[in-house]
Amino acid sequence: MKFLCVPCDSPMKLQTIGPPERGSLSVVYACPECGYEMAMLTNPFETQLVSSLGVRIGPEIREGASSAVSTSADGAKCPFTAMIPTMEGAQPDQAGESIPVRWTSAAEARLANIPEFVRPMARTGIERFARDRGTLEVDEKILDAAKDFFGM
Amino acid sequence: MKGYHDIQGDGGSRVLEQVAEQRARITDGLAGVRHLVAVGSGKGGVGKSTLTLHLAGALRTRGLRVAILDADFNGPSQARMAGVQGALFVPGSDKVALPRTTNGIGVFSMGSMIPESESLEFESAADGESHTWRATKEFALLGEVLASFEWGALDLLMFDLPPGAERTVQYAEFLGPRTSFLLVTIPSEVSRGVVARSVAALSKGPNRLLGYVENMSGYYCRDCNAIKPLFVLPEVSGLEIPCLGTVPFDPELARHCDLGISFTALRETPVGVALDAVAQRLLSDLNNSALPLKTADGMSNVEANERSE
Repeated sequence: MKFLCVPCDSPMKLQTIGPPERGSLSVVYACPECGYEMAMLTNPFETQLVSSLGVRIGPEIREGASSAVSTSADGAKCPFTAMIPTMEGAQPDQAGESIPVRWTSAAEARLANIPEFVRPMARTGIERFARDRGTLEVDEKILDAAKDFFGM
Repeated sequence: MKGYHDIQGDGGSRVLEQVAEQRARITDGLAGVRHLVAVGSGKGGVGKSTLTLHLAGALRTRGLRVAILDADFNGPSQARMAGVQGALFVPGSDKVALPRTTNGIGVFSMGSMIPESESLEFESAADGESHTWRATKEFALLGEVLASFEWGALDLLMFDLPPGAERTVQYAEFLGPRTSFLLVTIPSEVSRGVVARSVAALSKGPNRLLGYVENMSGYYCRDCNAIKPLFVLPEVSGLEIPCLGTVPFDPELARHCDLGISFTALRETPVGVALDAVAQRLLSDLNNSALPLKTADGMSNVEANERSE
């Protein structure tokens, strides 16, 4: 969807997006020529339709900024992050698993690169793998060892 | 006044650009895959998943590098059958390592993530209206899986499709003309009729239709060591695509699937021999560049060459 300032015959630019509220987004556009602002208020169907494409709406994300928002109803969650951590196999249900496992920044970076819906299971499984090998730290060596161990 | 196509970009939301970027990531991720083969039918319950797994096994035995993407997100069965229900997902350098079976077949299945007691659910801003957006969401998820897992260098990536003739076409459009289709039927008029609809629908697009496999073509009686009939039907299927082979039903195969045991032990049985013959034919057809390969215009490559001359 594009917006045109009719008096200026100029494409309007996205300015801000309000946080999702009951499935609706408030998206503000402005004309770069005359400064006129208008807001597009989506209904839940429209929000969901765009969300279903797996895209984010918002100006370019800059380092340290969070100007873009997910079109998910609650702002940033992927389809599964809400359900997977509570499921069987993803719970810290074994003796000793309440002791936290530390992740090095390099290992965290690798985890951050993978899809959000896989992360909870990946984190739980890798931490279990690390504990089984007598360590409470996940680094890149542990990740590579897990790949090798499972023939990946 | 300017029209839509007079304006470059979309003012900052970048929706179309992001969709294009997703497609590019998928293309990059599959660059090392030689053949993309979707196993579909249109009809449910004909053994698509079983055939997919065991054809992959037969190809793997021949030394090929094979992976399966269980595209039936709502009714995934590959995780159980392939024995990867409790698979560990390991972050690689920038993608997720693909879980593997004991015989080295890479398998992605939602069944590795979601227990069979749970259904696949998505968060939604439009609760109660999932019929308006769910298919779009599932294809976005398929794109995410294709773009985010390490498929690496493969001879074959096999897609185990969900049932539904219209779904088969949607997958053809999403996966693009590189993907060839193998259809599965059973020897019943009902099944052949549904598969015929899939053939008709797929024939309108650019994807190559390799042919069909007739599954449950009789059953293997271990007591008699003979194949006995399951259905009484004319020999001719009426499907106007090649038959790549017939595979009898074997209760032992079903038991292996339930337990996630490799089919290797059954290789010498009539079912194993039949699966191996289908795998051989599939491989031969995939490697046979003389077979008609449709262009985006729906012409065969032979027709396209003739026209260009």
